[in-house]
Amino acid sequence: MDIRLLHPSDIPHVQHANITNLPENYFMKYYLYHALSWPQLSYVAVDVSRPKKTLYDYPRIVGYVLAKMEEDPPDGVQHGHITSLSVMRTHRRLGIAEKLMRQSQKAMVETFSAQYVSLHVRVSNTAALRLYRDTLGFKNEKVEAKYYADGEDAYSMKLDLGFIREQIQDEQDAEADEGEPVGELGSKEGAGDLTVRKKDEGKKRKVRVGRGLGVGDLVERDESQKA
Amino acid sequence: MPQVLSTKEQSLFRTVVRNYEDKQYKKGVKAADQILRKNPKHGDTLAMKALIMNSQGKTDEAFALAKVALQCDMKSHVCWHVYGLLYRAVKNFEEAIKAYKFALRLEPDSAQIQRDLALLQIQMRDYQGYIVSRRAMLTGRSGMRQSWTALAVAHHLNGDLAEAERVLTAYEDTLKNTPSKTDFENSEAVMYKNSLIAEQGDIERALEHLESAGKHNLDRLAVLELRATYLTQLGRKEEAAKAYSTLLDRNSEYKKYYDGLIEAMEVHLDDLKARKAVYDGYAEKYPRCDAARRLPLDFLHGDEFRDAADKYIHRMLDKGVPSTFANLKHLYSDSFKKETLPSLVQQYIDSDKSSANEEPKRNGDTSKGASAAFYFLAQHYNYYLSRDLDKAMEYIEKAIELEPESVDFHMTKARIWKHNGNTQKASEIMEQARSLDTRDRHINTKAAKYQLRNDESEAAIKTMGLFTRAETVGGPLADLHDMQCVWFLTEDGESYVRQGKIGLALKRFTSIYNIFDVWQEDQFDFHSFSLRKGQIRAYIEMMRWEDHLREHPFYSRAALSAISVYIRMHDVPLLNGANGVGHSDADDAAERKKAAKKARKEAQKAEREAAAKKAEPNKPTSQGSEDTKKKDDDPDGAKLAATTEPMNDAMKFLTPLLQFSPKNIDAQIAGFEVYIRRRKYLLALKCLLAAAALDKEHSKVHEQTVRFKLALDKDSETLPPKSLEVIKSEFTLLAASVDLTKFNDEYLAKYKDCARRALSALKIRKLLNPESSSKCEKDVAAVISLPTTTVEEATEALDLLTSWKSSEIEGLRSKAAAKWPKATIFAAKA
Repeated sequence: MDIRLLHPSDIPHVQHANITNLPENYFMKYYLYHALSWPQLSYVAVDVSRPKKTLYDYPRIVGYVLAKMEEDPPDGVQHGHITSLSVMRTHRRLGIAEKLMRQSQKAMVETFSAQYVSLHVRVSNTAALRLYRDTLGFKNEKVEAKYYADGEDAYSMKLDLGFIREQIQDEQDAEADEGEPVGELGSKEGAGDLTVRKKDEGKKRKVRVGRGLGVGDLVERDESQKA
Repeated sequence: MPQVLSTKEQSLFRTVVRNYEDKQYKKGVKAADQILRKNPKHGDTLAMKALIMNSQGKTDEAFALAKVALQCDMKSHVCWHVYGLLYRAVKNFEEAIKAYKFALRLEPDSAQIQRDLALLQIQMRDYQGYIVSRRAMLTGRSGMRQSWTALAVAHHLNGDLAEAERVLTAYEDTLKNTPSKTDFENSEAVMYKNSLIAEQGDIERALEHLESAGKHNLDRLAVLELRATYLTQLGRKEEAAKAYSTLLDRNSEYKKYYDGLIEAMEVHLDDLKARKAVYDGYAEKYPRCDAARRLPLDFLHGDEFRDAADKYIHRMLDKGVPSTFANLKHLYSDSFKKETLPSLVQQYIDSDKSSANEEPKRNGDTSKGASAAFYFLAQHYNYYLSRDLDKAMEYIEKAIELEPESVDFHMTKARIWKHNGNTQKASEIMEQARSLDTRDRHINTKAAKYQLRNDESEAAIKTMGLFTRAETVGGPLADLHDMQCVWFLTEDGESYVRQGKIGLALKRFTSIYNIFDVWQEDQFDFHSFSLRKGQIRAYIEMMRWEDHLREHPFYSRAALSAISVYIRMHDVPLLNGANGVGHSDADDAAERKKAAKKARKEAQKAEREAAAKKAEPNKPTSQGSEDTKKKDDDPDGAKLAATTEPMNDAMKFLTPLLQFSPKNIDAQIAGFEVYIRRRKYLLALKCLLAAAALDKEHSKVHEQTVRFKLALDKDSETLPPKSLEVIKSEFTLLAASVDLTKFNDEYLAKYKDCARRALSALKIRKLLNPESSSKCEKDVAAVISLPTTTVEEATEALDLLTSWKSSEIEGLRSKAAAKWPKATIFAAKA
């Protein structure tokens, strides 16, 4: 099973996996909306060992995560949201859902500076709850009454992505240790602007380091250490 | 001459425009009427009123009024623009483009008209026109990055990569400050430019650009992947290997990365130990990683394979992973592996039994391992390369005995029944599986699918209805249409074909055709949306996919089914109505055809409108689409089935099939069948030659070759000499002097052990030599005694005899019933 980014051409089979597995369905355009707005965030699990029947076979999708960034977040904090996640029954217990989620979460931080990721889950869906809460570390925010069309309540869950920001910083530190010039790492907490050397020009210039990259932000650091 | 209004009316006119924009249609019409009372021939007002009426759903009236408006004021850009908008709304893009161009000629500076034109041009893939439009738009708004990116995209899609890159560079040069690192639009523009450089083949420069401009790009994964690719292409192996190991540390479940790493490490493909060591490293580093443990099974042989497979199987069965077999079955093309895998599983079972009374070796319950092992063996014996259905049933019963509540085990049991040819039992068992977990939609889906395979249409939709949205007007079927549930519509249609309900079958296949229309239309909003979002690479990818959207197997399958229905309608005209219900055939044929066509158009339009309405890119699922949903006046497809020209109707499905899936042999075979019936011999030959190029020995290619020769001999006098000449020079599959009987006999002799080819040859023998009928029929019945004949082939033989009204039917049926006692299709009719 390959885990890789979702491409537009995967969408018919992703849609097929979704309507096979879950009661919450979407038409193609909504998948396109995800794939074309945040192409870095949605991932698929692909059965690559299936022999091809014709030249026009498309890869068979056995699992997917459809993810987005919240547009104009009400709390003003950049964050991701999991629109839909499912794995075909025939391919469960391989850890596919977890692996899909981790790839998506990482990209949310790297590309869109997400501070946290949110999702909804049926209160009766114990398998999914185990994944989100126990494996991935999501916290239960609140219960949304009658969230689903059939009247079932949803848990609204959140995961702070501070730990990924730390990982990324560690990776960049490691790179810097190898002597590659990585500017922002000299940043101190709360620093707004700082001076760095740009590799090829050799002259100094100003670079803004805001909440965007999130590195070196003390408050966020503390939270992630608690988590 | 421009029509001038008084000041008061001018302000009224502005109100009309505002009302339209605010969707206050009633008010808008009222204000327009107020102007028209004094100036009944005011073109712009008439046009605006038409536009508003169109938004109210009165399309025909709107078109009529817009024409009046144009008659009143041919020189008004408003009138032409509105005319274009109306065509745009009914998806007649060619006419809309023409109207926009008129409007633009009258008002060259209108940004709105220019924009509307540009969007249609790109939707229609008029790249030249799009470049012109984008260049004009850039002049108007050269300060915005979007304008430049759009022009670059235009050149890119037109195939001029260098010009596209120059446009992007020209914009970069206008920037006074370096964009900030968190400027997403800039970040993506850099990556887009990088893709243009690489696509031009200048990998050296692409890498350089990536390492300088792309260094801190926000799309980190893309940078890492591209860097690894470029370094490999440039032969910088050591750095490439490092790049791939970075990627594997991010994601160790991607075969491409392992392949890249091993290539870059210059591990020789024959050095299996070294290759295995690479995977072992990652297996150790990532205990939960599957790929590093599974992929070496592809290339290992002998004892090394056995050891690795044994470890893998233990690990998977201990955890009770249901997909263990699915993960390994591709290895069955290797006969050693096909033998080894089940024996390892058997050993696993045996060892477990011996230690069952002692301390359990594994964590958790041991029965999980044993039942998972039985489950594996059941799937093994159910698989077509290692099939023994009785053994499969034996093992699945053992697994079920250990875990009577397992949904997965019952699912496989149902599949075994399906392979036995017993659709009824398969459906029953799948329903039993469903009842074990009624909250899981996957098993619900399977239960419905098996009901359809058993032609229980009503039960199936009821099953589906347990998970469709209850509020959807029109019930579960409407919801499945809304949600573009292609698999259900396809299976439902195919089931109706089996039941002889031709109208309903065509209805379903047409729905799929329409879904693909919607999918094509869906890209429209992204021409502007993606530029605003700045996600250019994803947009380009979408465009290229949409260009050949209909090559998708979802389309081919439905199209092939529809075409075969139409072919049967042509050969055996319906005598008793669309869906097997008798009704007199007294209507005037032309009248019926007209009605059918109109109904179809209306239904398509309603569907598209509904879809377009609710599918704004930034709005999730359906809301308030009910008002636009028109009542379907042909819910059972009676009008579709009433066609008097089935071969014409088949063309609708066939044309995209041949255009987008020319290498699909079934498409070419279907194309031949349609064209030969339409006496389009050149086109039929084209299909036949294409099919023969794909598989000359295909049973249908054989049939069609002979039939083509016969048709040609019969019809050659009626053909224009020039066509005949071309056909004769191209039709080289048979020698001109060929003895068809001999040719056919040779084919039969060559393939006497292959049921499908033998059936084709016998069909042809009867055609060539009708006196041989009774011998042919006996030979057809004998085909099922071949050791390799499958249930499907036996069914084809039965169908063939049925179509001949042969006296051998009963003999074949009872023989087949003896050979496949579990199959329902051969059971004696009560």
